[in-house]
Amino acid sequence: MPPAGIWIDALVQSSTYITMAFGMVLVFSILGILNWAHGQYYMLGAVVVFYGVTAAGVPFPISMLITGLIIAGLGMLVKKVLIDRVSGDLYVGAVTLALIFFLEGLASMLFGMQDKGLANVMPGNMDLGSFSVSYQKIAVVSFTLVVMIAMYIVLNRTKVGLSIRAAAQEPRAASLYGVRVDRVSLIVMGIGCALAAWAGCIMAPVYAINPFIGRIPMIFSLLAIVIGGLGSLSGAIIGGLILGFLNSVMTYYISYYSEVVLFVLVIILLLVRPQGLFGAALK
Amino acid sequence: MLELRSILVKYGKTVAVRKLSLSVNKGDFITILGANGAGKSSTLNAISGIAKVRAGEIDYKGEKINGLKPGTIAAKGIIQIPEGRRLFPLMTVEENLKMGAYLQNDKRRISEALEKVFILFPVLKEKMRAKGRELSGGQQQMAAIARGLMALPELLMFDEPSLGLSPLLRQQLAEKIKEINRDGVTVILVEQNARLGLMLANYGYVLENGELTIQGKTSDLMLDDNVKKAYLGV
Ligand SMILES: Nc1ncnc2c1ncn2[C@@H]1O[C@H](COP(=O)(O)OP(=O)(O)OP(=O)(O)O)[C@@H](O)[C@H]1O
Ligand SMILES: [Mg+2]
Repeated sequence: MPPAGIWIDALVQSSTYITMAFGMVLVFSILGILNWAHGQYYMLGAVVVFYGVTAAGVPFPISMLITGLIIAGLGMLVKKVLIDRVSGDLYVGAVTLALIFFLEGLASMLFGMQDKGLANVMPGNMDLGSFSVSYQKIAVVSFTLVVMIAMYIVLNRTKVGLSIRAAAQEPRAASLYGVRVDRVSLIVMGIGCALAAWAGCIMAPVYAINPFIGRIPMIFSLLAIVIGGLGSLSGAIIGGLILGFLNSVMTYYISYYSEVVLFVLVIILLLVRPQGLFGAALK
Repeated sequence: MLELRSILVKYGKTVAVRKLSLSVNKGDFITILGANGAGKSSTLNAISGIAKVRAGEIDYKGEKINGLKPGTIAAKGIIQIPEGRRLFPLMTVEENLKMGAYLQNDKRRISEALEKVFILFPVLKEKMRAKGRELSGGQQQMAAIARGLMALPELLMFDEPSLGLSPLLRQQLAEKIKEINRDGVTVILVEQNARLGLMLANYGYVLENGELTIQGKTSDLMLDDNVKKAYLGV
């Protein structure tokens, strides 16, 4: 049995994947596209919050809030200026792929390639008897929990949420009854990018920050989505949990081989259940 | 109330509707008949603002509506119940009805509409918590009509509501549509089932390859030799 710290790390990892995957699925279910640059919004979240705290001296929670809004705005701008002007899945895919390098390059130019850290935000550990957990990790997990509950409420209890689900399930019928599907997809793009940015913000104190930190979380979130079933929000959450736990626990036992084993497991799962655990339809 | 003047609807190079003119007065019950691909749905979609009108004009109460957004047209009381029901499959019936009333803000009018819906379709009361995709075909059609009624329609357009229903259900559905019309809602009924359309409506239009070929009182159309041969199988 791995020590408690491993399980905590599993939860922390899962949290990142869940927040990222949730946003990606949301965007996918409305726009029908995978935003390959999703990980770079995560990276920008960490970078912007770093400057918010260190350069501008804004307290971390407020920096985080503002960062989410800025990146949401950026994501919406990218949708209007780039994505909406291109048609065809392949071309949209190419645009968002190109965006990966553009955003990483931009961050490298402005931010430099070397690691930076925010470790002095929320220092200290919570003592839990036989082991202790850093406040930073507690923040990651509780933030994710709060975000998921908030998303649940928004999607199921508000008019905006109703229109998002309607547009995802039957866009034509939704527009017949007055939903502005173009506007909804813009809002959803904003939400998805804000979620990615917030995942980057909340992880910023835990890991090093550099222009390339978006890649790994992106790959894992993509796997989480595939495991859960493309298009399923609850699938994204379950997929994120499965991956986070498998990866942490296996890393404990077999270190670097973990990722290899993980990919093999995912491939086996997809051979057995090509539609993912939850099928494709839970928008 | 509604006036189509020589409208043209195209998808790429495919002409779906050509030079179609028709008019509907308040309280009317008209039917649009035609075979597969005749342009019936395209006509309704042009009125609803989902399909682009390339030439001609659509007026509602003397005001041009083609070019307006679907939501703006719906807000004027022009509501379509689309072909194939198109319920929101993962939403409950209650949420589907809420979506029908999406543009409505007057709580009192919404609850009045809901009461009327329950009188018309009592089954839906028990199915409020069921998801759209969990309903039977007949129930789905009722829910789709109910969703349309929640939008407080002045003009309600049905696109092949009888599709996939048993003869008995079709008969019940026909009664309900008549009742809605008697209640003061103007109705456009699109049907491939010409018999049903002619039985219910007062005035009919027949489309063929996107063009209007015959129109007239349904009582006359039922006796028309061409209509009989082509659409009634007599
Ligand atoms: N979205 C679309 N894209 C391209 N062509 C279309 C589209 N919708 C309809 N068409 C074409 O326009 C023509 C008219 O189609 P429409 O759906 O209006 O017919 P319809 O009378 O409703 O037929 P049905 O009884 O089968 O529903 C057909 O030739 C059809 O192939
Ligand atoms: Mg049709």
